[in-house]
Amino acid sequence: MNVPAPRETSPHPLPAVILVARREIVVRLRSRTFAAFTLVMAVLVVVGIVAASALNGPAAPAQAPTVRVGFAGGSQALEQSFESTAVLVGVEVSVSNVGDEAAGRAQLTAGSLDMLVTGSATTPAAAATDAVPAMAIIALDAAAQTARLNAAGLPPSTVTSVMAGVPVENVRLPAPSSPFEFTTNVFAALGVCITLFVTLAAYGQFVSQGVVEEKATRMMEILLASIRPSELLAGKVLGIGFVAMVQIAIVTAAALITVALTNGVSIPALGVGYVLAYVVWFVLGYLMYAMAFAAVAVLVSRPEEVAGATAPVAVAVAVPYLLMFVGLSDPTNPLIVVLSIVPPFSPILMTLRIAYGVAPLWQVLVAMALTIAAIVGTTWVAGRTYANSAMRFGARVRFLDALKVQERVR
Amino acid sequence: MDSEGATPDNAARTEGNALTPRAPALLEIDGISKRYGNTVAVDELSFEVRAGEMFGFVGRNGAGKTTTMRIVLGVIGADRGEVRWCGRRLDLKARRRIGYMPEERGLYPKMRIAEQLRYVGELHGMAGSDAAAAALQWLERFDLAERRNAELQSLSLGNQQRIQLAAALVFSPEVLVLDEPFSGLDPVAVDVLIWVLREQAEAGVAVIFSSHELELVERICDRVGIIDRGRLVAMGSVEDLRRGGPERLWVDAPAASEDWLRKVPGATVLQEHGSRRLVELAPGGNDQAVLQAALRTGPVREFRPAERSLGELFRGYIEEDQR
Repeated sequence: MNVPAPRETSPHPLPAVILVARREIVVRLRSRTFAAFTLVMAVLVVVGIVAASALNGPAAPAQAPTVRVGFAGGSQALEQSFESTAVLVGVEVSVSNVGDEAAGRAQLTAGSLDMLVTGSATTPAAAATDAVPAMAIIALDAAAQTARLNAAGLPPSTVTSVMAGVPVENVRLPAPSSPFEFTTNVFAALGVCITLFVTLAAYGQFVSQGVVEEKATRMMEILLASIRPSELLAGKVLGIGFVAMVQIAIVTAAALITVALTNGVSIPALGVGYVLAYVVWFVLGYLMYAMAFAAVAVLVSRPEEVAGATAPVAVAVAVPYLLMFVGLSDPTNPLIVVLSIVPPFSPILMTLRIAYGVAPLWQVLVAMALTIAAIVGTTWVAGRTYANSAMRFGARVRFLDALKVQERVR
Repeated sequence: MDSEGATPDNAARTEGNALTPRAPALLEIDGISKRYGNTVAVDELSFEVRAGEMFGFVGRNGAGKTTTMRIVLGVIGADRGEVRWCGRRLDLKARRRIGYMPEERGLYPKMRIAEQLRYVGELHGMAGSDAAAAALQWLERFDLAERRNAELQSLSLGNQQRIQLAAALVFSPEVLVLDEPFSGLDPVAVDVLIWVLREQAEAGVAVIFSSHELELVERICDRVGIIDRGRLVAMGSVEDLRRGGPERLWVDAPAASEDWLRKVPGATVLQEHGSRRLVELAPGGNDQAVLQAALRTGPVREFRPAERSLGELFRGYIEEDQR
């Protein structure tokens, strides 16, 4: 029989960590669980965005369509003055000359004009469709008044001073003291935080289930006969993390496409900055929680014991999520501010504060540094419990025992 | 019973006399010990396995067979002692040249079988394309090539066991360590496994396996190690182990009375099956004296040495150890 001939011992063509991670990626991306989970997430996010834009009402001013105004006869002298006033009052207009009133009316009826101005510059008359905002009419009024003042013989400088607008100072209320209404901003922050919680909790559970699967099926024995426990742990966490990033990319793409399609301009919170904050905090939170999930999951040998063993870590994900609802109505609450800097609360609570724009940069950086320190800590603990209890089958290994006794393996 | 035959020292001596080295020792297990709390799982255990040799490891449940194998594979650490590979301490790289089949079979139930074998090959140092080719060769060999994309759990139990065996062989190991490979196999699968193991041994692979099927171990192993309560109580070929014990004879003398053996020193009747009697001779006993005593009673229909089975030897050593 054609059995491959024995070879010399060769170095690993690929590092064990990458082999383990690649297996996780290939098997999980192909699984029905991944497809179903991604679909549910995408649908929820899309529905959320559509609901949010519906809540916010139809098109907001910034993207209001340009008002097309045609001028006929003597009124054409008003065009320039009308245009500059319209800009001042925030209406986008495009002006054009029309031959006579009849031609203008025809264009108006055909929908290629929104407003038709006829008559002389001092006594103009206008016909407008419903689409023309009141501010456009006011701009036309102002242009006609200027023309009449000019016609009355007043010098242009006097006219300008007569027509000058009243300066209005824009007073900004300090953000912290303002009560937050249920606006689309809150809606977006809520959506981002819920998504973060769901993905962190789900992928943490995927890690713990994957760890116990290897113990339950005794695949662990075959794996540890050829690679180190630390390589297995790192490969598993990184592989599942990559799968999570793929899913997040898909869901984010669905979200951004939906925003574009629904003209959801009114949801600034779904800008690139918010997606970036979410991704960064997902990565940090995932690494911290995944290592913690792996550290306790490896203590048990049967799938039905996973939930019990990982309960403390699941609580550490759920508590920041519940506190998030406190922060949602009052993101400047001192408790929320302090906890948003401290792991394990930081991923969800800091994302909330970033979404509200109330997190100073230094606080974000301190929270990141502390979370990275926490990742180092959970990784160390997981490495230890893995080395100690990956090959202890049967009864659940006590956490402190797994930390204390460093079994001499290799 | 011969008390000497039971000690590890004696076993080692027996082995030294009997086996002329065909190849340098590949794998040396030297004085390994392992405790779990107050339980001694393995106690100062030493043996070696040579290239091309089939070594059977027998013992009762909990005797320390699985612990020993796990220590050899490095999946658990020994408290004392070491495992050497061609004279050098066995490291992770060398361990990747050992094929392992755990007692409680371990593979991913939901992973496609070809990918699974390829993965195991790569974990043991093969390049991806080599591992894929070797995986396919083993699947073809076990008539499973057409199901290469099937998940392991969708296969019959027998086929799952074949995949498990292929996982131990896919990277062409130089040592095979199989923990109870025959348990749960149907007779056809047993034959296939024996055939594969013999082929591997002939190709120079050192094969170690544990089993409760003593008849089978006796049939296919070059050497046997008997382990009890963590210690090796006997080791050598089945022939050597027999030689260490007292001589036994089957004697069929239908006219013999109850006390026909009274005058032969060191001879006792162990069993009677009709007119056939199993006679045990103390060391130094004279089998010809037994024959003459039998002939004095009348006709003798049978007189031949009784070969003890490995099972009988095993029970003898275990009883000895418990005294």
